[in-house]
Amino acid sequence: MKRNNTLQKFFALLLALALVAAACGSSDDGDGVASGGDDDTSVAADADGGEAEPEEAEPEPDAEPEEETDPDDQQAIDTELDEEELEEIGSDDVEEAAPADGDPVPGGTLVLGSTQVPRHLNGAVQSGYATAVPGTQLNASPLLFDDEFNPQPYLAESWEVAEDGLSVTLNLVEGAVFHDGVPITSEDVAFSMITARDNHPFKPMFAPVTEVETPDPLTAIVRLSQPHPAILLAMSPGLLPIIPKHIFDDGQDIATHPRNTEDFVGSGPFRLTEYEAGSIIRMEKFEDFFIPERPYLDEIIIEITPDPNSIVLGLENGTTHVSASMGSAANILRLQDNPDVIVTAQGHEAIGQVTWLEFNVEDPVLSDARVRQAIGYAVDRDFLADVIQQGTQFPQATGIVEASPFYNDDVEKYDVDLDAARALLTEAGYADGDISLAVDYIPPGQQADAEYIVQALQDIGIDAELNVSPDFPTWAARVAAGEHQLTVNNVWNWGDPVIGVHRTYLSTNRVGAIWTNNTGYTNDEVDSLLEQAGQTFDRDERIALYGDFQEIIADEVPIYFLTNPPFWQAINPSVQNPSVGIWGLMSPMLDVWIAE
Amino acid sequence: MRAIATRVAWSLGLLLAVIVLNFTLIQLAPGDAAVVLAGESGAGDPEVLEQIREEYGLNDPFINQLGSYVGKVATGDLGESFFFNQPVTELISARIWPTVLLVGTALIFAIIVGIGVGVYTARRPESGSSHALTVLALVGFSMPVFFTGLQLVILFSSVLGWTPVQGMRDVRFEGNWLQSQLDVAVHLILPAFSLALLYLAQYSRLSRASMLEVLQSDFVRTARAKGLSEQVVVYKHALRNAVIPVVTVAGLQFGSLLSGALVVETVFNWPGLGRLAFDAVLRRDAPVLLGVLFMSAVLVLIVNLLTDVVYRLIDPRIRVGGSSA
Amino acid sequence: MTDLVIDSGEMNAAPTREAWRMFVRNKAAVGGLIILIGVILMTYLGPLFYDQDPTRIVARPIQGPGTEDAPLLGTDYLGRDVLAGVINGGSTTLRVAAVAALLIAFIGMTIGALAGFYGGWVDNLLMRFTEIFQVLPALLFSMVVVALFDPTPTTISIAIGIVLWPQLARLTRAEFLRLKNLEFVKAERAIGATDRHIMFKVILPNAFPPLIVAFTLVMGSAILFEAYLAFLGLGDPNELSWGLMIGLNRPTFLTSWWTITFPGLAIFLTVLSLSLIGDGIQDAYNPKLRGR
Repeated sequence: MKRNNTLQKFFALLLALALVAAACGSSDDGDGVASGGDDDTSVAADADGGEAEPEEAEPEPDAEPEEETDPDDQQAIDTELDEEELEEIGSDDVEEAAPADGDPVPGGTLVLGSTQVPRHLNGAVQSGYATAVPGTQLNASPLLFDDEFNPQPYLAESWEVAEDGLSVTLNLVEGAVFHDGVPITSEDVAFSMITARDNHPFKPMFAPVTEVETPDPLTAIVRLSQPHPAILLAMSPGLLPIIPKHIFDDGQDIATHPRNTEDFVGSGPFRLTEYEAGSIIRMEKFEDFFIPERPYLDEIIIEITPDPNSIVLGLENGTTHVSASMGSAANILRLQDNPDVIVTAQGHEAIGQVTWLEFNVEDPVLSDARVRQAIGYAVDRDFLADVIQQGTQFPQATGIVEASPFYNDDVEKYDVDLDAARALLTEAGYADGDISLAVDYIPPGQQADAEYIVQALQDIGIDAELNVSPDFPTWAARVAAGEHQLTVNNVWNWGDPVIGVHRTYLSTNRVGAIWTNNTGYTNDEVDSLLEQAGQTFDRDERIALYGDFQEIIADEVPIYFLTNPPFWQAINPSVQNPSVGIWGLMSPMLDVWIAE
Repeated sequence: MRAIATRVAWSLGLLLAVIVLNFTLIQLAPGDAAVVLAGESGAGDPEVLEQIREEYGLNDPFINQLGSYVGKVATGDLGESFFFNQPVTELISARIWPTVLLVGTALIFAIIVGIGVGVYTARRPESGSSHALTVLALVGFSMPVFFTGLQLVILFSSVLGWTPVQGMRDVRFEGNWLQSQLDVAVHLILPAFSLALLYLAQYSRLSRASMLEVLQSDFVRTARAKGLSEQVVVYKHALRNAVIPVVTVAGLQFGSLLSGALVVETVFNWPGLGRLAFDAVLRRDAPVLLGVLFMSAVLVLIVNLLTDVVYRLIDPRIRVGGSSA
Repeated sequence: MTDLVIDSGEMNAAPTREAWRMFVRNKAAVGGLIILIGVILMTYLGPLFYDQDPTRIVARPIQGPGTEDAPLLGTDYLGRDVLAGVINGGSTTLRVAAVAALLIAFIGMTIGALAGFYGGWVDNLLMRFTEIFQVLPALLFSMVVVALFDPTPTTISIAIGIVLWPQLARLTRAEFLRLKNLEFVKAERAIGATDRHIMFKVILPNAFPPLIVAFTLVMGSAILFEAYLAFLGLGDPNELSWGLMIGLNRPTFLTSWWTITFPGLAIFLTVLSLSLIGDGIQDAYNPKLRGR
């Protein structure tokens, strides 16, 4: 019948149209994929070269000229990642791609896209990238750090670490005021540091601070119970924002203080104009900032969106200027192929993020080091970095990142060897199918890594499956309580090992919170090595101590390290002096300007 | 009037039941609210956790907690977000207009176009275009809305560059009020269309069915026999009957529209209640969740009430109040 | 989401044979049936012919369809076979949706039957109870349930089941109200049949036509809901389903449209076929709408 034939034809046409539309609508993607494939093959070809890389990089820290134990210089290192390595993963060199020519032009609005939602804006009581990105624009700190990890003046125009290392004197710059006009004094510095010491999740940062004396409004003396090499780095903008005592010191619990978001008054180059929880953070230039003629930008807008794909599209059409939240290796590669976007792995060296597989050593099966080593041999971190993550991550075999002077490459790596893995399992008394393991991971981003690990485990006869947590708090609670067997995790070094590394291994840090000692690992020698390394300013001594520490960890494998994901940042070429310093976007955009 | 008063009273009772249900559900869930509240900072310290429990009354018996929550809601206090430490009412009021705008626009669009399609196909029931439209409508209904949304974004935003990628407004926008409204309107196009597609099918079929019924009824045949023009017949008499069921159903479907809005808001990053709720689920932010569930119920009830009023206005035959069948 | 709009008023209990003949003449409905059968065959027989494990990594990630050394429909973000995923994903999706639909049918029809049959305070009470669930935002509520209680196929089915039953309840109730006063029912009562017998052996079979239609639509809604939940990140990653495939590949979809399009099409076709079939059944039983 006539009508039914028409119907059928139309239906078929519709289907065809839909398929065509889908194919055409993503024809760009087709190209992206093809060249993505090429990049992959070149990376695969260099995979062996990749393994050789760390050895080439290693000599550099030793090439440092300074040998004296000058506390001020104890962090001085060459943090530039090897150029070859950067090129290998497709990172643009920012200076090459967008040379800042001409004089800075004041004005302009910078739009930053982020998927991270801050709880509030007070970085003195809250850690993490989400708070630090806006926080470092709104708040100043005593010190800034340059590309070589050397401290530079900020709110403190000069400083001095005592000979015995038990005190640090800060001399504040004159004439600095908060956004409400009230002068910034040493009382505020003292208040901020004590608040951070008592509230900030990173206890080791300011734990040795016993008190902060304020002999006059522009001088603060920090008293320490022991020498604390991390103290200077801890005064970075992202770790010690100077908050106004006259606003926060009113008896209310500072962690839930309403002024953490409402009418936020800060000490930084930008002031808050609009805050919509989870959506938009708008900041405008603070006219009375203490550094003359800074900042250049008129306005910074942080647009928070849960979907990194939107951010990618925004970067492509130029409505978003800067972002470090690209979401997936595929998106990073897609942007790398786009000539209108600079994609770089430069910057954020102080973060030092490590993705690893950690074991609950109190689990009956996993308490046997041979089982852990077997798993180490079964998982191929190069495959993970090169194929699963499509070459956008570096393989990592130890807990301290390469950019740090304390990195020790000479440790047992457990390069993939399935036979060795199976042999170890047999030795430990397990046959195929005897072991059942559940692999946890941080939802949703680490699913790919976890899925690969499950398969790798299955390949050596372990009955593995994923344990899914629907959200971050669930996962965190589970791991913190030690209810897991193994989990993929992502932990940051935070510049100085005292801040970000010690917390994972110290037997005293088994406190039932996430990102502390969640493995249950205890080793007296490790405890003592870390304690010593945390109390001396002697860089060489620290290198030796941390070196030994890393060797022990590699032997006992409470954690099998996977990759070091660089902090990829996408930048619009019009942005001059983008934030690619050691703290990346977690630093004040003092020198950033936009060339139209 | 009295009917309306009873309705309102009944609605309040319903809301209470909703609150109790949701509160119980969230309490039943495994997991420790204190841990969520503590966040990163204090989660490890049992003292801090105990302190939090005391402060938030988490150690009280369930009935007490429920009672105190209901009491607070009655005074307009929906508590504070575990995550943002801001009053839930503040968070919700910032998001409620975008959702209403999105859902309202989608609904109106679906109703108008749906009725148009339904009327058109009812008058030419055998034509090819009539069938095509029916099929298209079914297609809209069967496509997962995020699928449609994603493909539309790729086509119109990425490839063609005609529409914005996401969000409700251009963050860098500077202009007067009128331009700002236009900016929102442009951002509204894709999300509203994706959402409307879902309901287009139903409304067109519904109005078509009603139209067919009416067009074949005695009443209309008489009118035609009397010599009234086709136009008058259709647009004055039949149309009115086609509109009624659509409006009724649309009003009753407001609740499910909110569900669709949740997905659309996530795909398009539309800053509405749906996104707020979705984020709250993933963060175990119980007060916000409870607040949104409550507000949605309120919205649905209000719309139901309005629909009833409109229905009675349109259809003068209905006078008797009572239980809705 | 979908609401059930069934014009059941005119659906006579036409003899099944007559209805079947009407159905078969409706090309769209038959098309839907064919598609559905195709989907079911693919899901349950497909793995016998194409026995690739959809969860294994087989090639480099994100290879488009037609790339050399890549499976026919390409690979996803992990390097898994998309075609295998589509073939095997159906079983989880269909299973979750079917269990949910059965739950909905059970709860909805029971409540609706009781309310419609007994009337009075029973009706009132049950309808008020129904209203509570009608007023809740369905997807959000099921999200909460899944998120709070771990995403397994069982939880997901339950979460979907408890939010989509109200409309079926109302429909069943309307049918029972309509049918209970008809002659043949009164006759049964006169000969002393029990309530249960009347409800389930007499009225219900006559109410089947609109209920079957409703069931097909409910099944479609359940499939869509499973997809939405998985898309939003609340699927069980150990059980691959179409919705989960879309959800997992969302972060990379800008560069891998096939990982979303193919499972999306699978969902679409399945739901469409169910709608066409439901439409067909409705038309078959309703002479008035025959003028299409």
